[in-house]
Amino acid sequence: MTFHTVDLLTRDGARLSFPCAEDQSVVEAAAAADLFLPVVCREGGCGACRATAESGDYQLGPHSEAALSAADAARRAILLCRTYPRGPLALSAPFDRARILTQALRPRHAVVSERTLIGARTVRLRLTLEDEGEGSAAEFEAGQYMELEIPDGAGLRRAYSLANTANWDGTLEFLIRLHPQGHFSEYLERRAAVGDRLRVHGPLGGFTLRENGLRPRWFVAGGTGLAPMLSMLRRMAEYQDPQPARLYFGVNRAEELFALEELGALTDSLPGGFALIPCVWQAEADWSGVVGTPADALRADLAAMSGEAPDLYVCGPPALIAAVEQAARDRGVPDDHLFSERFLPGAR
Amino acid sequence: MFCYQCEQTTRLPTGDGCASAKGLCGKDATTADLQDLLVHAVKGIAQQARRARALGVPDNDAGAFMLHALFTTLTNVNFNPTRFVTLLHEAAAVRDRVAARCEAALVADSDTAQTAPAPTGPAVDWTPAADLTGLLAQAATVPVNADLARVGADVVGLRALILYGMKGVAAYANHAAVLGYTRDAVFAGVEETMAYLASDPTDMAELLDRALSVGRLNLQVMEMLDAANTGRFGTPHPTAVRVTPVAGKAILVSGHDLGDLEALLKQTAGTDINVYTHGEMLPAHGYPALKAYPHLVGNFGGAWQDQQTDFATFPGPILMTSNCIIEPGPRYRQRIFTTGPVGWPGVRHLADHAFAPLIAAAHALPGFKADDLKTAGPEQTVTVGFGGDAVLGVAGAVVEAVKAGDIRHFFLIGGCDGAAAGRNYYSDFATGAPDDTVVLTLGCAKYRFNRHEFGSIGGIPRLLDIGQCNDSYSAIRIASALAEAFGCGVNDLPLSLVVSWFEQKAAAVLLTLLALGIRNIRLGPTLPAFLTPTLLAVLVERFGIQPITTAPDDIAAALTCAA
Ligand SMILES: Cc1cc2nc3c(=O)[nH]c(=O)nc-3n(C[C@H](O)[C@H](O)[C@H](O)COP(=O)(O)OP(=O)(O)OC[C@H]3O[C@@H](n4cnc5c(N)ncnc54)[C@H](O)[C@@H]3O)c2cc1C
Ligand code: SF4
Ligand code: SF4
Repeated sequence: MTFHTVDLLTRDGARLSFPCAEDQSVVEAAAAADLFLPVVCREGGCGACRATAESGDYQLGPHSEAALSAADAARRAILLCRTYPRGPLALSAPFDRARILTQALRPRHAVVSERTLIGARTVRLRLTLEDEGEGSAAEFEAGQYMELEIPDGAGLRRAYSLANTANWDGTLEFLIRLHPQGHFSEYLERRAAVGDRLRVHGPLGGFTLRENGLRPRWFVAGGTGLAPMLSMLRRMAEYQDPQPARLYFGVNRAEELFALEELGALTDSLPGGFALIPCVWQAEADWSGVVGTPADALRADLAAMSGEAPDLYVCGPPALIAAVEQAARDRGVPDDHLFSERFLPGAR
Repeated sequence: MFCYQCEQTTRLPTGDGCASAKGLCGKDATTADLQDLLVHAVKGIAQQARRARALGVPDNDAGAFMLHALFTTLTNVNFNPTRFVTLLHEAAAVRDRVAARCEAALVADSDTAQTAPAPTGPAVDWTPAADLTGLLAQAATVPVNADLARVGADVVGLRALILYGMKGVAAYANHAAVLGYTRDAVFAGVEETMAYLASDPTDMAELLDRALSVGRLNLQVMEMLDAANTGRFGTPHPTAVRVTPVAGKAILVSGHDLGDLEALLKQTAGTDINVYTHGEMLPAHGYPALKAYPHLVGNFGGAWQDQQTDFATFPGPILMTSNCIIEPGPRYRQRIFTTGPVGWPGVRHLADHAFAPLIAAAHALPGFKADDLKTAGPEQTVTVGFGGDAVLGVAGAVVEAVKAGDIRHFFLIGGCDGAAAGRNYYSDFATGAPDDTVVLTLGCAKYRFNRHEFGSIGGIPRLLDIGQCNDSYSAIRIASALAEAFGCGVNDLPLSLVVSWFEQKAAAVLLTLLALGIRNIRLGPTLPAFLTPTLLAVLVERFGIQPITTAPDDIAAALTCAA
């Protein structure tokens, strides 16, 4: 078998290099070298492992268009789990070195401590980690996610972003949208009860805050895409980060809005200031806020903005992310100001 | 970015220096560039502050700001670009405040204007750009090697030597300042030297003189730091320190700041939390006021470059109080905290001794479990606390032992440790020193050999641990006292100095040794990249500085010379 060298440059400038066989994906080859890249579905479905090929030949395996569009693929965007080298490869990744683990994570167990419907078809799920010999602390970076296994679900797991911040009580908080006929959704809607015990995997993912001086941080969330944003904003409050922040929070109908109280509380605790901009797409007459998608609102504000272009953190369905990317490009926001996480269904 | 301030800098046939997206220490280009701009800003403050002092309205708060700001730019201290943007804005405000003081003083007494003309130059005129892109564009005009094409590598190298020496001075002076010890003369010296650098000097002889005056300034600073440490915590005494853990909840404190350690010991007194020292915090155990806390139980781990493995296995939170932090691994990133000048993106910073989140973490994390310790083997200790007074206390016995021929030679093996392979020279040197020689050590290089069984000579231990790199003053006192006892100069003593450098504190100490006229220092593991062959030739000629070769050869050479 022919091996090629893969050189991977992380967002924070670290260089890693490992051999990769032609029939091995970059993710598999990295794992063989004890480097565990941030991945979710490992089969081209979720886009968690997007990166860019700076140079070298490769073959892209089958993947969903939502995770990597043909246009992006033509610009040499890749999915690490679907990339097979055909020569030495130089790749650049949108996540930091610290997001690459050097040891496989051991699964842990957590117990459901709260399950509340907080908006139309949106559940707040709180879990408490068990102390399995290493303490009960919930250690993760704001913006990361965990994979939760459905109890008695034959190992079926789903990725959910953490909405709270690292803590020492072992609390994991999630905001989860109930999809009709979805496996995890069904469990949450019909069976989940306080006291249930779940296997959890993580923390995972490289969608985390970036220190770029005092550059404003604008967050754009669609639906439960709010979860990682809430985590990041809460962390900013804990650390007393100085950057001005604002959040575009989009839903279809006003009754789907949620967590407004938590968000309101942030206004007083963020030293750089905080603006909350809820956006409702199909608004009733009594809605006085922004009507339209958060991408529309963002586009208008970017046009009116003066001064330094903000960093944009975007999370939600792929269509929202694409719209935000387009708005940012049209308004001249540099690509390296954009950080995103796609909530794609990953079948596993 | 361009940075060549430390020993591990990138070395290439095309030229030395970290110049890509990221330095070998993990510092990214944005941070490195913002640090360069902060140094520029400090020069502007220094120019105004020097004038204010001349006008009789000195501003020591501006001095304290300069110390802190320079400290953040040392190797392995602060990696957080956001912190530097904030510091840059603060720096401009401090400078303008001092300028306003000067103007006010002149209004009050217009005759003094001639004695202190208004400073000029880019560092005085600079205003921070509004955004990061703008700041980086400004930084691009002020790297350490900005003038290279015009003035040549020798001048750039000497300026760098002075700047890096000053960074070391600032770090030591900041350690003293946070303990409440400052001196006008030290602030004046910092202002003078940084303002001198702002004038873009090119005269080689003058630059060399200034470098030595940085060494003299550093001697004052180290004396002040010694006074601060002993004044606050008492005179260190030889103390056996546990290096194996005890069962219970645990916090690890790293870096050099004894004041932070004391504050944490107070805040955890009476809880079930044990506090451990790491790295250069080890000598804390020798100070009476610190060892009085029963929950300061021991030392954990090795030198700084092993921290990623040591911290990952430590079952409690970690506090970094000064250099040397390296990228926190994912396994302990949420439970490492920074304080003082230290910073890492995404790592929680606790200012002003507000350690509550650290203590909460210690309660939640498992700590050392009795069961795990059963397999850990027997208790081990190392002995620390041979500060100046402790060694001088046995000076009589030492002098006798030398006269009787029982002690043939002293080796002072001091300085920083590092990851480079060549550093086993220092352990080979210490363990290879003949049985009738005594090894004095300070800094973290000692972790390479301090668990070795050295034995003793007539009751005098063959390994004397003087303390942190911060305690170099003690080493100088010991050498001077021995010289006095033998009625000779330090250079005539049966003493060889073997210095292992890593970063800018070591540069300051080296300049101090040179300023004191100490010759024939063996310097390694490699020579500073900023010293050009011409500069090195000067140092060899004037001070007999020698690059290290191999441990057996260097030991033999030292003993032959002395014989
Ligand atoms: C990194 C990451 C983080 C995520 N974080 C969150 C989060 O914080 N909160 C959250 O609610 N979700 C999040 N998701 C999505 C989540 O992982 C699941 O995909 C989603 O909850 C559906 O799981 P399910 O088992 O209920 O449905 P599945 O059993 O996977 O799907 C069953 C049916 O539902 C449909 N369906 C599934 N997802 C969607 C969708 N998004 N839109 C329309 N139809 C859908 C499918 O088409 C399918 O027909 C995240 C995904 C990723 C990759
Ligand atoms: S501090 Fe040392 S390793 Fe870091 S960038 Fe500078 S020279 Fe390179
Ligand atoms: S001796 Fe030098 S390298 Fe070692 S901890 Fe002190 S400052 Fe850091």
